[in-house]
This record gives sequence, C-alpha cells and structure tokens, in this order.
Amino acid sequence: MIDLKNVKKFYPNGTVALDGVDMHIDDGEFVFLVGHSGAGKTTMMKLLLREERPSSGQIIVGNYDLSNMPNRKVPFYRRQLGVVFQDFRLFPEKTVYENVAFAMHVIGTPGKVIRRKVPALLNTVNLGEKTGCFPRELSGGEQQRVAIARALANNPRYIIADEPTGNIDPKMSIEIMNLLLKINKLGKTVIVVTHEKGLVDYYQQRVIKLKDGKIVDDRVGGMFK
Amino acid sequence: MKKSYSPLYFLGQAFKGLWRNGVMSFASIAVLMSCLVVMGAFALLVVNIEVNLDQLRLLNQVVVFADYDATPEQIDAIDRQIWHLENVKGVVHNTKDQALVEMIENEEDKVLYDDVLGENNPLSDEFIVEYNDVNGVSELELQLKQIDGVRKVSVRQDLATQLESVKNGVLMVFIWFLVILMIISVFIIVNTIKLSVFARRHEITVMRYVGATGWFITLPFVIEGIIIGIVAGGIGYLIEWYAYHYVEKMVTSGALSMISILSYIDVGGIILAGFLGVGIITGIIGSVVSLGKYLKV
Repeated sequence: MIDLKNVKKFYPNGTVALDGVDMHIDDGEFVFLVGHSGAGKTTMMKLLLREERPSSGQIIVGNYDLSNMPNRKVPFYRRQLGVVFQDFRLFPEKTVYENVAFAMHVIGTPGKVIRRKVPALLNTVNLGEKTGCFPRELSGGEQQRVAIARALANNPRYIIADEPTGNIDPKMSIEIMNLLLKINKLGKTVIVVTHEKGLVDYYQQRVIKLKDGKIVDDRVGGMFK
Repeated sequence: MKKSYSPLYFLGQAFKGLWRNGVMSFASIAVLMSCLVVMGAFALLVVNIEVNLDQLRLLNQVVVFADYDATPEQIDAIDRQIWHLENVKGVVHNTKDQALVEMIENEEDKVLYDDVLGENNPLSDEFIVEYNDVNGVSELELQLKQIDGVRKVSVRQDLATQLESVKNGVLMVFIWFLVILMIISVFIIVNTIKLSVFARRHEITVMRYVGATGWFITLPFVIEGIIIGIVAGGIGYLIEWYAYHYVEKMVTSGALSMISILSYIDVGGIILAGFLGVGIITGIIGSVVSLGKYLKV
C-alpha cells in the first residue's frame, strides 16, 4: 500500500513542486502517473524513492513511513522497490546475466541463489537466449527488458518505472507495457510515470494526473486528457 | 536468506579503480611516498639527536668552586658534604694550585703568570662532581649552593642545551612538515578517488536504487585508498632504508665517527609501522572525503 497524505514539497528556490497531494494506491494495482513537464511527476518519483523528504505531510509505503525514516534504513526500504529508468542504466561492460546478477550481488545475495534466479528472471522477460549478450548487442526494447529483469531481481513489492518507453519505438513500447502488466498480474504494484498519451489511453488502467503539483484527476480506466 | 559479501569483490573493485586511473594512482603513490620518506628522515634525525644527547648528558659534570679564603678544614667539610648528597656519583677535588698549574699549562706565555703563583693565586679550590640522574641536576645545583663555603656552582650543560634546542627546532619543523605533507597527500588521494568515483557514478546510482548499503558502496574506494597507502609506505620504507644505510656508512667511517648513529634494525620496525600506519590512515581519509556526497542517500 502506498499512502500520501497532504504531501507538500517546496524547494529552496521557492518552487512548489507538490502542493497538498493525497493519493492512495493499494497493493497489486497498476497505475499511470501522468502530467506535463513541471507537473510534479519527478518530485513524486524522488519522494517515493526517498531521494527527497516531503516538506510536510506523510508518505507511507508498505511498512515504511518515509517522512520520518532515518537514512540508515533507506537501503533496506529500497529493496522493496524495483526501479526502471528511461535510459535503462545498464552497464555496457557487463553481460545481460551480469547486469541482472549485479542487483542481487550488491545486497549480498549468495552466489548459489543468484545462479538459480537470474536465468528464471531472464526467461520471465523473454531474454533467456541472450544471457551472454552485451547491452550494445540488444535493441532498445530488449535493453529495457533487461532493466526490468534487474528491477525484479530482489523480488520487490513495488515497481516504479520512469518513462520506461521514452527511449524505444512504439512497437517495442507495447512490448514493454505488456511486460509490466504481466509483472502486475504476478502481484506487484506497478507505477508507470509517463507522458505518452497513446499508451495511457490504450491500456485503460488507473490514471493519476498531476498538474502544478496537485492531483487533478484520478480514475480507473482513465485517459490522458 | 543469509547475506554474503565476498572480500574478493571489494578487493577486485579496488584494483580495477586503481588500474582505471593509472596515472593518478601512480601520482598519489609517488606523492605520499615522498612525504613519508621526508617524514621518516626527520624522525630518524630527531631520534639520532636524542641518542647523542643522551650520551652527552652522561658527560655532564657540575663544578663547585670554594670560597677564595676557604681553610683546608672547610675544604674537607665541603668534600664530605658533597659526597653525602643523593645524586652524586663521584667527586674529584682540584686544589687552587692544581687549577692554576692546569691553566698555565694551556697558555703559551707562561712568564705572565709568575706573579700569581703561590700566595697570590687568584683561583679557588674546585670540586668536579659527577652525578647519576640528569633530571636531578637542578636540585643538586641548589643543594651544592647551600653548602657552607661554596662560592659558585657551574653546571656544564651548555652543549647539551644547545643540542636540545636544535632537536626541538628540528622537531617543530618535522611536525609542520608532517602536517603540510599529509594535507598535500590527502588532497592528491582525494582527487584520485574522485576520478574513480566519477568513472563509476552510474554504477553507484544503480547500487543505491537497488538497496546497496553505504558501506558496500564505500568499501572498494576505501580499500583503494588503503592500497595506495600500503604501496607508498612499503616503497618509502625501502628508499629510507637504502638512504639511511648510506648515511650510516658515511658517519661511521669518516671524520664524523664521534657521532653515534642508531642501526636501522633498531628503528626499522617502527619506521615501517609508522609508514604503513600513516599511509593507510591518509588513504582512508582521502577516500572518505572524496565519497562524501555519494554517501548521501
């Protein structure tokens, strides 16, 4: 469960990024977070990733109250999140397998578990045949699938995807969105931050729209208006 | 699930970082090593001055002069009282006649002294007092002055005092050098590690997002700093060893053989430990300083 209560975020330069946001997302939901540039999407992402703290209000994600959480707990909180970036952020010198294994390795997962789990994850994203390839040998869509496999590596409860289709062609975008829906069906809560109207309208999921730091629309089966 | 972190991973990452920024790593090692060699040279100089100072202190004597008109009975009494003092190791009594003879012996124109022989002797009896504990000299001087019939007490600590002040001067320079050189070393190491961090900034970002702890991210860079410190300390030790042997040979074989010099075996262990210790601490400080903003959550 993700719960935001009257969340406000001001930056030192006076910018009001979020202005009294109330939002509730249940476990297992699929949500599009939409809005134009400057609407507050990035700030919302930063707050959910606990890169920033809210100026006021309360943010609860699962068992964590992000408003009061000490820094030392942040790494452990982030293990509940799987983050997918627009630019994939894969390591060019690592193979597909190593890119996914890396996420498990850095939190101290034993090698035996990594060797068993990574091929299964790559099969989930239909890249079972490409474990030994380097990112440069893959298409944009395939690279994003590797990034999704990496986001899933530590079995997070929430997947947060920041413009996951921003760097890939429309056909591949459908593939990625289908994959995220498939992951949602497996029980993960998925939040997709996007400004791609076509995709949002096509999938008819819950859409939360931000404008000038406020939620101006929140409905299931919504459209990007 | 039991978490497992391989030490080899951290070590491997540290060596990769050093290799990736080869030139800067080399520069860091060279600068830190130079600092350590200079620091070691000062330390060895101070230690050797101290050794010579100790020997010089052993030669120190206190000279007690009796009153000009002291009677033979008074002279005997002074002698006895000096012997009774706690810090006294030995006493040699020179009569005023002996003192005058010694003085005249050192002069070229002995005729000039004809008038002062016998009854006209302007000198007084003197006692050369050897003491046990150098730290008790001031107290001994006071006790000697209080003896009846004593005119003057002369403590011959001049050379030791001068050498002591030289040592203190060297020590001050040494401390300032140490501080300045360490700051320079830390600065160079900070830049080397910063380059390493910069090269891995994307990796660090991903690590943070997948939940890597601060120490997991930091450790390879700290190890990188430690390796720089160990290599610089090790090479610095060998250079110091070679240079010291050269100086030792020069001092012991030449005209300077009167100067005592410690064998490197006696001080080598401390020098090595000091070099490695300072090297490692500098390396750690350098890496932690350069990682500051990356440790932000």
